[in-house]
Amino acid sequence: MNVAPLARRPLVCLKSAVRQARQQKIFSRSMATEVQATSKPPSRSPDRNFYRVVDKKTKTTRSAFAIYPPTSAGLPLIPPTTTNPVAALHDFQIKKLDPTGARTALFARTREAAKVGDILLVTHRRGGEPFAGVCLSIRRAGIDTAVLLRNHIGKVGVEMWFKIYNRNVAGIEIVKRRLKRARRARLTYMRKPKHDMGSVAEYVSAWRKSRRVFQTKGAKGKTGATTAGGKGGKGGKKK
Amino acid sequence: MAPRLAPAVWRLPLRNATASSSPAAAALILQTQFHTSAPQNVKQGWSTLPPRAKPNRFNQVTSGLPAPTAGPAAALARKAQSTPVRAGVLAIKKGMTAFMGLTGTRIPCTVLQLDRVQTVLNKTRKDHGYWAVQVGFGERDPKNIGAPMLGYYEAKGIAPKEQLAEFRVRDEKGLLPVGVQLMPDWFYIGQRVDVRSNSRGMGFAGGMKRHGFSGQEASHGNSRNHRTIGTTGGSQGSGGRVHPGKKMPGRMGNQRVTVQNLPILMIDNELGIVVVKGAVAGPKGCVVKIQDACKKPPPPEEFIEKTMRALRERFPDAEEHLQQARERHLELKKARREKRIEEMLTAGWEPTKEQAEMMERAIAEDGHESLGEEQASL
Repeated sequence: MNVAPLARRPLVCLKSAVRQARQQKIFSRSMATEVQATSKPPSRSPDRNFYRVVDKKTKTTRSAFAIYPPTSAGLPLIPPTTTNPVAALHDFQIKKLDPTGARTALFARTREAAKVGDILLVTHRRGGEPFAGVCLSIRRAGIDTAVLLRNHIGKVGVEMWFKIYNRNVAGIEIVKRRLKRARRARLTYMRKPKHDMGSVAEYVSAWRKSRRVFQTKGAKGKTGATTAGGKGGKGGKKK
Repeated sequence: MAPRLAPAVWRLPLRNATASSSPAAAALILQTQFHTSAPQNVKQGWSTLPPRAKPNRFNQVTSGLPAPTAGPAAALARKAQSTPVRAGVLAIKKGMTAFMGLTGTRIPCTVLQLDRVQTVLNKTRKDHGYWAVQVGFGERDPKNIGAPMLGYYEAKGIAPKEQLAEFRVRDEKGLLPVGVQLMPDWFYIGQRVDVRSNSRGMGFAGGMKRHGFSGQEASHGNSRNHRTIGTTGGSQGSGGRVHPGKKMPGRMGNQRVTVQNLPILMIDNELGIVVVKGAVAGPKGCVVKIQDACKKPPPPEEFIEKTMRALRERFPDAEEHLQQARERHLELKKARREKRIEEMLTAGWEPTKEQAEMMERAIAEDGHESLGEEQASL
């Protein structure tokens, strides 16, 4: 639309003129087309948009101001690629900390994933006993995703939060799945004596035993790797 | 009481008055004499004191006096130490997240996003009394801006901004070319910054929430005074009044809060983010100011030079662009004053005589080549 007869635009050789022409290209809505349609000797239209202050009563233009396109010293301004950088940052970090995507899958909103009410076992990289407990809640927050496990140690109720992407968490496994899907997102009622599960030690030992059986039958290396690498879920599924 | 005049002033009219011997004539002469005689002011004629030397001449640092400790120059010198060398940027708080450290530590952090941050104005000691850089953020619809600000942006040659803020800098070395875009790489990873923002507004809050008072007992005869603040001062012995500054219920939050010395954990030009360690005041979506920490040494010289060089290389035409915008603004301003802006818009822009001449000359010099260029650009 800006390709006007060159005779009407004899000023094009100026550097600024060239630049303004580029601006026009960026900003297609300009006065250029209208004015050049009415034959006018070597006049040029305002090369950028104008904002008109219109009188409400008379509907006439009281004043007008040039509005420049979003440029920075002639170059287009670079807006950020996303308006939700936190999510982008989460994706980036999860990709780095969980390259196989196993942990993400373990706590995803899928049928196969771990749910509240399941008994989970978390192995710590810094040594110490692995912590097992019934999962009371899953707090999904990107890289900050965490699970709350409850167990009884020496007849005392113990709860622990684990950040699933933390480097200290060596592996997470499902020891036992809940028979029926829990109808709450957070099973805080399990802290009450009536609903308290007590110690999960027997479930864990039973699970260990079953794994040992599998190990002797075959596929030794695979199950061993599951525990250490914390691939999560695969080896731990009950029967 | 008659005004005290120098004797020479009296002498003239009196002498003339004796000649004419009429009081009316004498008064007239007195008047004319006053107007026609030598200028009379504090220095001449009004005082019998000897003419004083210029008071300023000996009241100078050059004459051995100590520099004044009060006044604008002294204030600037005093604040120089705590004023950052470089300008900062505006950003929006996007929320908090965490980094997982190598040793299993969790590092909470805040994500701040820069959106089309541009320098708008340089404030100088000469014109404004201090050194500062005004910076704009985001984009705003012109219909939501008043005419004065529309004219302001017109003169700067930039699109209207959502937010404007000022960053004090130590001296003229901190000033930046106008209109250039500042990206997150204005900072470096590990740098300490001060982050300022308005805290979340809590509304009218009681003493317990606002100042951490303990409240009162739940029982032991307490009646309906569990969260009240209790006494506000002594009786007659201590004046019988509430002392100024007494902590009481009132509006809480929505104040400017500066969090100092936050280390930068990450910068990303593409996402436009600066990630700082720890928390920043205010809700998500609030505007924050990020600037070099004033209580830490400024960034290394090489880094400052590098960023400035990068700006100059990226925007070589910044000054020229600003100058063009200014000239155009003056032209338009004149048209607005003379109420011919409407015609101007409908008729189009006519080059002035000088511009036309310049253009013709340019055509004569290298018309053909440039025509080609123009076509290519179109």
